[in-house]
Amino acid sequence: MKSISLYEDKNSVINMLAPMTKVIYIIAALIVPFLLGSNTISVVFIGISILVLIIGKVLKRVVPIIGFSSIIVLSVIIIQGLFRAGNVTPLFSIGPAVFYKEGLLFALDIGINILNILLSFSVLVLTTKPSDLIEGFVRIGLSPRLGYVLISVFQIIPQMTETMVTITDAQRSRGMETEGNLITRIKAFFPLISPVVMSSLVNTKERAIALEVRGFNSKQKKTFLNEEHKTMADIVIKIILVFAIVASIVGRVIIWLK
Amino acid sequence: MKKNSMWSLKLNTAALVLIPAAVGINYLGKLFAGLLKLPLWLDSIGTCLAAVLGGPIVGAICGAVNNIIYGLTMDPISTVYALTSAFIGIAVGVCAYKGAMKNVKGAILTGIIAGLVAVVISTPLNMRFWGGTTGNVWGDAAYAWAIANNIPAFLASALDEVIVDAPDKIVTLLIVFGIYKGLPKTLTGLYKNDQEIESLD
Amino acid sequence: MAKIVVEHLKYKYPLTDKLALNDISFTIEPGEFIGIVGKNNSGKSTLCQALVGLVPAFYKGAYGGKVYIDHVEVAKSDISEMCKKVGIVFQNPFNQVTGSKISVYEEIGFGLENMGISRTEMIERIDEAMELLDISKYKDRNPFDLSGGQMQRMAIASIIAMRPEVIILDEPTSQLDPQGSEEVFQAVQALSKKGISIIMVEHKIEKIAQYSDKVMLLNDGKLIDFDTPQKIFSMDNILEYGIAPPAFTQICRGLGIYNKESGLYPVTLEEAQNIFFSKGIGGRSNE
Repeated sequence: MKSISLYEDKNSVINMLAPMTKVIYIIAALIVPFLLGSNTISVVFIGISILVLIIGKVLKRVVPIIGFSSIIVLSVIIIQGLFRAGNVTPLFSIGPAVFYKEGLLFALDIGINILNILLSFSVLVLTTKPSDLIEGFVRIGLSPRLGYVLISVFQIIPQMTETMVTITDAQRSRGMETEGNLITRIKAFFPLISPVVMSSLVNTKERAIALEVRGFNSKQKKTFLNEEHKTMADIVIKIILVFAIVASIVGRVIIWLK
Repeated sequence: MKKNSMWSLKLNTAALVLIPAAVGINYLGKLFAGLLKLPLWLDSIGTCLAAVLGGPIVGAICGAVNNIIYGLTMDPISTVYALTSAFIGIAVGVCAYKGAMKNVKGAILTGIIAGLVAVVISTPLNMRFWGGTTGNVWGDAAYAWAIANNIPAFLASALDEVIVDAPDKIVTLLIVFGIYKGLPKTLTGLYKNDQEIESLD
Repeated sequence: MAKIVVEHLKYKYPLTDKLALNDISFTIEPGEFIGIVGKNNSGKSTLCQALVGLVPAFYKGAYGGKVYIDHVEVAKSDISEMCKKVGIVFQNPFNQVTGSKISVYEEIGFGLENMGISRTEMIERIDEAMELLDISKYKDRNPFDLSGGQMQRMAIASIIAMRPEVIILDEPTSQLDPQGSEEVFQAVQALSKKGISIIMVEHKIEKIAQYSDKVMLLNDGKLIDFDTPQKIFSMDNILEYGIAPPAFTQICRGLGIYNKESGLYPVTLEEAQNIFFSKGIGGRSNE
C-alpha cells in the first residue's frame, strides 16, 4: 500500500531521535527568530536544518516540499516587487514592469521566513514515522482517541485513493463523460464523489463497531506495545532547544522594557 | 428526549471514525476536481459533510486534522490554515444545526457564510505569512489590481481571498446538500449523541 | 466460565416499527459451540450484537428484557468492559482493520493496549494468537496488504488476544473465497477445542451441522427452536423458515436413512455412514 507520508527509514542518527525532540526543534526554529525579530536568526536555523537533513540523508527529499511553495513565493516576489505600497526605489525593470527595492526586500523577508518553516518541518516529517510521531503525542497526554483519528488518516487515505481508479473506470464504462466542455465535466463530478461517500459511510459504521469491541472507549490507562525512543542525545538536544526558547523570551521582554 | 447541545465535546466512536473518512473524501474531491480540470478546489466536501452529519465540533476537528495531515505529508504551510478549515467546519455545523441544509437556498446561504468565514480567518494569515497574496492566479491578479489602485493591502488581500474561496465554498455546499439528501437515515443518525435508549419492558 | 442467559429480549432499531428481536429467551452453557441459522433479516446479527452490548448502546433504539454474561447484565455495562468477556467477529474483514497500526503484529495488540495490559504480557498474547491462527509469517506486513482470509484470521486473532470466554462470529466467511473460508473454519475449530464458547452465524449449513453442539433457529425476530443439529435439521417444516438442511440430511431423508433411537436424520456424512454401515439401510419399511 502506497503511503502518503514522506518518511523513509534511512537508518541515520536522526531517525533514532525521539519525535518530540524534533517537534521542540520546530517550535524553537519558529519562535526564536519571531520573538527576537531577526531574520539573521532565521537564516541560522535554516542552516541548522540543512545540516540535520544532510546527516539524516534526506536533503534531496526536501525539493518537492519546497517546490510546492515556490510558486507562491514567486508570485509574492512579482506582486510585492511591482506593487507594494511604499515602493520608491527602482532596482531593475523587465520591459515596462519596474521592480522596486522595498518590495523585493519585503519579498526576501517572506522567502526566508517560509524557507525556515519548510526546512524545520522537513526535519520532522522526513525522518519520523507518522505512527511514532502521534504515539509521541499520546505519551505526553494527547487523547488516545484523537491520536487514533490522526494516525488512521495516514492509512485510510491511501486506501480510499486506491478505490478512486476503480470508481472512475466503473463510471466511465457506464457512459460518464470526463472530458469535454465545462458543464459536461461539472456533471461528471457527482457520480464520482457519490459512491465514495456512500461506501465511506458504511465502512465508517462497521469500523466504529469494530473499534468499540476492541475496547476503544475503555477508561483504563492505555499501555504501549512499542518501546519509547529515548537516548542521551534526546535529552541534551531538548535542553539546548528549551534554553534557546527561554532565552529568546527573556530577550523579547528586555527589548520591550527598553 | 434530551438533546445534547451542538457544542458538546463528547464525540462518540462513530463520529471519530467519520473524521478520517471525511479527510479522505476531501482528498478525493480534490483529486476528482483535478482529474476533471474543474476551476475549483473542491477540497472540503468531507469537512462540510462531517459538519452536517456530526455538528460543529466534528466539523472543526475534521478541518483541523485535514490541514495538519496535509502539512505533515505535503505542504507544511497548510498547517497554519488548519484554523481556517476548523472555522469553516464550525460555521457549516452551526448552519446545519439551525436547519439551513434543508433546501437548496439554505445550502447556498451556508456556502456564502462558509466563504466569508474563510476570508475573515485566512486574510490575516495570508498577510502574516505571504504579505497578502494566495498563490491563486485570479485572486492574486485582483490583489495586484487593488494595490495598484491604492487600496489598503488588507482589503486587497481580503478581495483576493474572496475570489479564491467564495465560489468554491458555494459549490461545495451544494454538492454536500445533494449528497446528504440522498443518504438513508440509518447512516445519518449515528454521529450525534442525541438519541436515548427507550425501554420496551 | 461464562454462562449466557437471555430473558425475554426485545429490540427495535431507531426509526423502525417492527421488532428486530421479539421476546427471545435461552441459555448457553460454557464451552458450547452454538450455530445460529435463519433467513436474512431474521434477527441473527441483531442477536449477536445484543450479546456484546452493541445493541442497545451503539444503535440506541428501544430495548427490553435482560442479557446476562456470567451474571453481569450486558445492557447495564460498558461495551469496553463486556468486550473482555465476549468477542465478536464480523463479515467484512476490511472494516475490522483499525487503520491505526502499520503491522499485523501491532494491529493484534490494539485491543490489548486499550485494556492496559503490560508490554511483556501483550507480546506473549499476540504471539500465541498469531500461532493459533497460523498468521505468524505475516507479522510485519501492513494489515491492508493481506488477502481476505488472512485479514479475517487477523481479526479473529485480534479478538482472541483479548482472551474472551465467548467468541461470536457473524457470517465470518460470507465475503471470503473458498480457501479463505476453509482457513477460517479450521481456525474456529481450533478455538473450540481450547474450550472457548463459540456462537457462529453461518449460511454454510454443512459447517453448522458439522461443528455445532446446538443450533438456534430464528425467524422474524423470534426464536423458533434451540436444540441439537439433528433435531433442528430433521424438522419437517424447516424449509418454511428459509433454511435448507445439510445435503446429507436431505439425501438421508429421501433414502429413509435415519437414527432409529431418536427418529432423527443424520446431519453429517460420518453420522450417515455410521447408521448406514452399522444397521444396514434403515428405513421405515424395516421392522
